[in-house]
Amino acid sequence: MTANTNGAALSRPVSRRGFLAWSGGVLAAAALSACSTGSNGQSSSATHGLLLPGDVPPHWDRVRAAVNEKLEADLGFEVSPEFINWSNYASQSLLKFTAGENFQTALSARWLNIARLIEAGALHPLDDALTSGDYPNLTAMVDQAAFDANRWPDGAIYGVPAVNSAGRIHHHIARGDLIDKYAGGNIETFDQLEKFWYDVLQKEGIPGYIRNNTPFDTLGAPTGALYAQGWESPDLLPLYFSSDSVFFVPSRDAATTGSTNAVPFWEYEPYVESLHRIRKYYEDGIINADRLNADSADLKARFDSGGAASTWGITDGLDTAGHLDQLTKAVPGASLVTLLPFRDGQSAKPNQTFQADNLVVVNAAAADIDAALQLLDWVSIKENHDLLQYGEEGTDWEAAGDDGYDPIGEYANFPGYALSWRIPLERKYARMSESEESWFEWSKVYDNFTLDPYASFIPDLTEIETEHAQITAAVAEYGNPLYAGAVDVEEGLDKLKAAVDEAGLAKVQEELNRQADAYLASQ
Amino acid sequence: MSTDLKAATESAPAAPRGIRQKRDYGLVILAAPAVILLLVFAYGPMAGLVVAFQDFNVADGVFGSPWAGLENFEFFFTSGNASRILWNTLFLNILFLAATLGAGVLLALMLNEIRGRVTKRFWQSVIFVPYFVSPIVVSIFLQAFLAGPGGRGGLVNDFFNVLSLPELSWYTDPGPWPWILTVVKVWHLGGYMSVIFLAAITAVPEEVYEAGVIDGASRAQMAFRITVPLLKPTAAILLVLGIGRIFYGDFATIYAIVGDNGTLFETTDVIDTYVFRALRTQGDFGTTAAIGLFQSVVGFVLVVIATLVQRKYARETAIL
Repeated sequence: MTANTNGAALSRPVSRRGFLAWSGGVLAAAALSACSTGSNGQSSSATHGLLLPGDVPPHWDRVRAAVNEKLEADLGFEVSPEFINWSNYASQSLLKFTAGENFQTALSARWLNIARLIEAGALHPLDDALTSGDYPNLTAMVDQAAFDANRWPDGAIYGVPAVNSAGRIHHHIARGDLIDKYAGGNIETFDQLEKFWYDVLQKEGIPGYIRNNTPFDTLGAPTGALYAQGWESPDLLPLYFSSDSVFFVPSRDAATTGSTNAVPFWEYEPYVESLHRIRKYYEDGIINADRLNADSADLKARFDSGGAASTWGITDGLDTAGHLDQLTKAVPGASLVTLLPFRDGQSAKPNQTFQADNLVVVNAAAADIDAALQLLDWVSIKENHDLLQYGEEGTDWEAAGDDGYDPIGEYANFPGYALSWRIPLERKYARMSESEESWFEWSKVYDNFTLDPYASFIPDLTEIETEHAQITAAVAEYGNPLYAGAVDVEEGLDKLKAAVDEAGLAKVQEELNRQADAYLASQ
Repeated sequence: MSTDLKAATESAPAAPRGIRQKRDYGLVILAAPAVILLLVFAYGPMAGLVVAFQDFNVADGVFGSPWAGLENFEFFFTSGNASRILWNTLFLNILFLAATLGAGVLLALMLNEIRGRVTKRFWQSVIFVPYFVSPIVVSIFLQAFLAGPGGRGGLVNDFFNVLSLPELSWYTDPGPWPWILTVVKVWHLGGYMSVIFLAAITAVPEEVYEAGVIDGASRAQMAFRITVPLLKPTAAILLVLGIGRIFYGDFATIYAIVGDNGTLFETTDVIDTYVFRALRTQGDFGTTAAIGLFQSVVGFVLVVIATLVQRKYARETAIL
């Protein structure tokens, strides 16, 4: 080709047809490329998704790389957990399950949405796997009795109990330094706690208690951070189809008469009193006013930076570990106290069902269910459990005695209760406060609790699905503001009652009583 | 079609069929990706509407789940909330549509009157920037304005204090929220709308304004007697497009700001937020698909009605 012809070729205008064909071809290729799997032709090991609640732990990438390196060597796959903020965990995990998304395991429980997941066929039953002998580490670390206590009414086991105590009691994590300053170093009753909150608000200008909204704070089960009656006589566990629906109060003599006769929570005087109390706290500034729309991670950060006198805790040994380091960085000299202001102290014997409030469930839509079970078995080995939960030894933590750990890095708050908690393998936080240690040890003893008459009662939603859905919507609109103290109690209750009556409360109440009576009769 | 154009079309020699088909290959290939995307992402998922009539569960899938007739529609229509939610959806969207179109036209007229090129560009950019701000960020701004840390105080209440006025608990009083959301929408979309109208203004022939000047029209008269009437076709298109989406409630803005705050649902809960909340709490795709189907059908009917009304009363600006 000569220079001339070459120049002519370059300068020749592209025909309209040619331009259209070229553009169309490029766009079609781009569209097809976008629809491809993205594989570059290289083979790699499988990576499985997991759902975990909470925020990504600091230095997670490094720890995850170490975990995956070992997993790859041991089992030939890796994991890529998705952390979901606690504020959205219940709804997002439910949605991912019911949409048939591909991931391996997740945290679920009755207080979350396990009933709906089982009803939707979204969970893989574990019975066959547990009896197969293929997962010896898992079955060795979780007692068979714990599995049996968490059987569903259909007889199947749908989750690995991930608990580290016999009873989980809602309580307060309070600033010890402020208790020293304003409460003479000791709080034993709810009245003293309330006075402490008011003193702190008046003198420090910070709220007494900070948390996002939940009915458990207000109505208790059996204790609630703001439910005074629960600390006097912790003998009532409300009944409900789901925790975002209406709570019912069973007759106190149901166990002997066999008649549940459960009534909606507003017909139980201590609960109404609690609503009034919380309304007062809201108006007085004792509790945070943004309970309805605040993000739980933001609230934790506020407490950890010294923005409140107390926050919520549960007896799982994480009170101090979850807050102390951040708090002392923000407020030098601050300390934490685990506070359970029972009238009867450690002889209160609160009611419990002993159902695990953390269950690690396996997704029925997981691409490789066997891999999910292998993972649950793998984290039941001490070395692997420690790596995942506490990080790399020497970098993130050091052993403290035989069963303790002392964090030396920033890796913290891995949600082991959603995957790897195994009672025999758990290490105790070396800087656990004296009060937490005392209550944590107390919570491990079954004899310190009273078995609730409805211990293994799990109501079935099938007959009242539409009514329940409508009641849940009504509770979101009218119940949650009441629990938060954001509306006048009488006015709010009137609106709630009208809405749930229209939604079919009578039918739901009747169905609950029918199922509960049948349960009592079967005991 | 005008008589001249019709005659011209009729008199044009028709290309032989084979040649015309060959000539159109390029067009077909060019359109193919868009058509495929439309089929895959708009028409294909319509098959999922069958879920609205099923007791859907993931284990049985779309083809295996049992039929439930119209049971899924009961959740919404017998809840006692339907009329309020439909009203909120319509009312808020009409407010948003009217306010953003009005603000867009007004801002475009004002920008058009700025003579300095640099100054004009500067203000155009300034009012366009909010369009790129995420609704989540807007919700944080709003929280700072209306309620401070811990839900108490806020800049607006601080200002009220300066004027010795009582503080308002903004996040527990549903009354002002349609107007608060409208202000947010105008702030968010006003600049974007103004750019569309400004583009339409630049297409107005200069001779029309020159004629106005010769007739002695003032700047204001030219703006309202010449520019505004010539913006009607653009406004009409935006209006019909807006009406088509009137049942979609602007989920992102409302949910980001109101979230799960039940005290504000009375005036802010629209179909989208209700469906999303129901799906989050129930995980029931059947009931939410049923509401979604209703939403789409009503949206389609509204677009048809809006188009027909437009053709009848303002045929020159009708889009169809």
